[in-house]
Amino acid sequence: MQFILSGIAIGSIYGLIAMALAITFYVTRTINFAQGQLMMVTVMLTAMLSAAGTPVWLAMIIGLVSSCILGVLSYLIAIRPILQVNRFSFGWLVSTLGFAVILENGAALIWGPTSRSFPQMLISYRVPIGNAVLNGQQVLAIVVAIVLTIAFEVVRRRTFFGKLGMATAVDPDMAEAIGANTTVVAIVAFIVSALFAGIAGLLVGPTTFANPYLGSTFGTFGFIAMMIGGGTEKPVAAMFGGLILGVCAEGANALINSQASDWFPFLVLVIILIISPRGLFSSSSPLMRLRRPPAAKA
Amino acid sequence: MMSNETPILEVSNLSTGYGRFDVVRDVQLRVGTGEAVALLGPNGAGKTTVLNAIMGLVKVRKGQIFISGKNMAGLPAHRIARGHAAIAPEGRRLFLDQSVEDNLILGALHLRRDQDRVRKLLDSVYELFPVLRKYRDRQSTYLSGGEQQMVAIGRMLMADPEILLLDEPSVALSPVAVEIVVKALMELRRRGASLLLVEQRIDVAVRVCSRLYVMTHGEIVDEMTPEQVNQGGMSILNKYLG
Repeated sequence: MQFILSGIAIGSIYGLIAMALAITFYVTRTINFAQGQLMMVTVMLTAMLSAAGTPVWLAMIIGLVSSCILGVLSYLIAIRPILQVNRFSFGWLVSTLGFAVILENGAALIWGPTSRSFPQMLISYRVPIGNAVLNGQQVLAIVVAIVLTIAFEVVRRRTFFGKLGMATAVDPDMAEAIGANTTVVAIVAFIVSALFAGIAGLLVGPTTFANPYLGSTFGTFGFIAMMIGGGTEKPVAAMFGGLILGVCAEGANALINSQASDWFPFLVLVIILIISPRGLFSSSSPLMRLRRPPAAKA
Repeated sequence: MMSNETPILEVSNLSTGYGRFDVVRDVQLRVGTGEAVALLGPNGAGKTTVLNAIMGLVKVRKGQIFISGKNMAGLPAHRIARGHAAIAPEGRRLFLDQSVEDNLILGALHLRRDQDRVRKLLDSVYELFPVLRKYRDRQSTYLSGGEQQMVAIGRMLMADPEILLLDEPSVALSPVAVEIVVKALMELRRRGASLLLVEQRIDVAVRVCSRLYVMTHGEIVDEMTPEQVNQGGMSILNKYLG
């Protein structure tokens, strides 16, 4: 019970980062490998500003805004120029990794390579659930993940902008031809995804503290979560991938040994990708094929 | 031969293409206000490229494209789509995971702050294609080819543009569906719409349009009226179209 709840809590964080990756992929068909570093920037700035006496809420907002600005810059500097030359180029694989390296080393240069304290927020609260206990920060992570996932799906399906995003995702040229400025749509997608990553950072910061190398670990786990869930098809599937990953990682720690979470998620990823190459909740997954589709009209 | 009406669309010396090659060279064409003009030609003649260049989807390398006297060459597609031109592309290219009505409303993107106008346009599309009203909430992927073509034309009409661009609306449709599409295009003419129709089917072009351009190997090589086609021009057209 304890490892399942703890897994869901950390899985919510992985899920938020996975959704951040999936949102940008959904709209632009690119993966921003600097997503973890955007999360790190929020954590580092919040830690630095709050340590300097800035109210925590203000430090968090500045951290999130900075992450969003860097998210937009990552698109404008590392992705858009490549897509303008060739929309089907994979050059962004290298350029976003390069952007990530610059952010990580820049942060290490500015703040030093060691960990800094982060505001404790709700971590000292204890919330007993059955015979398990979560801290307040873990409960907050689960609640925030649920709220953001539902909000994202409501916006995507019910609002005009969401439908425009869906149209851009399916056929960017046709979206342009109906009057959508696809560059603006992509920029909004990068802002939203940076916001998701930044919020994930604020939720996990009290546990991990502020470290410039935080982004690599969480970025990798977010990517695994996206692939497990099938986030390349539906951003919300990435959240479910995160939850599965979190429970597997915590389960491995509890049932195998305390280092097992370092390798077990990769094993899970490989097995899932063998069974369902596009992720567990993708339309081609054996799991989803059990749902009978509506009959097509002749 | 050329219409004396005020041109809604005037393309002069248009050259464009992909990569290092010009697919279209020095194309000149003109569509008058309320006029329907066809662009006929075999596969690979460059007809779709001309439409895409007018719509801003392909970069213009040389020449000018005037819509109501304003030069559109070099403008991005999303700006041309703001009431100047709208396209029903080859293969329909609907947003298949969205409903019929969502596809139609997305067509009126630049009018979204004027909901009354959007509602009126939606009603006029449903009047033109009553079956779409019945299927308004159905996901577009579950429509037949003919119904999808109706949605594509409806989405184009929702933009309320100065010129309608249609790329082979009869392709891969059943004879019944082709007849519905042709009647809809004739109704649009009756309503005073200006349209440029790319077609391979001469019979469709002759029924809908008042002038026909013939295009081969990236160049416009002839211009005819439906009367000329009916009075023996068909053999010339067949020679061009292979």
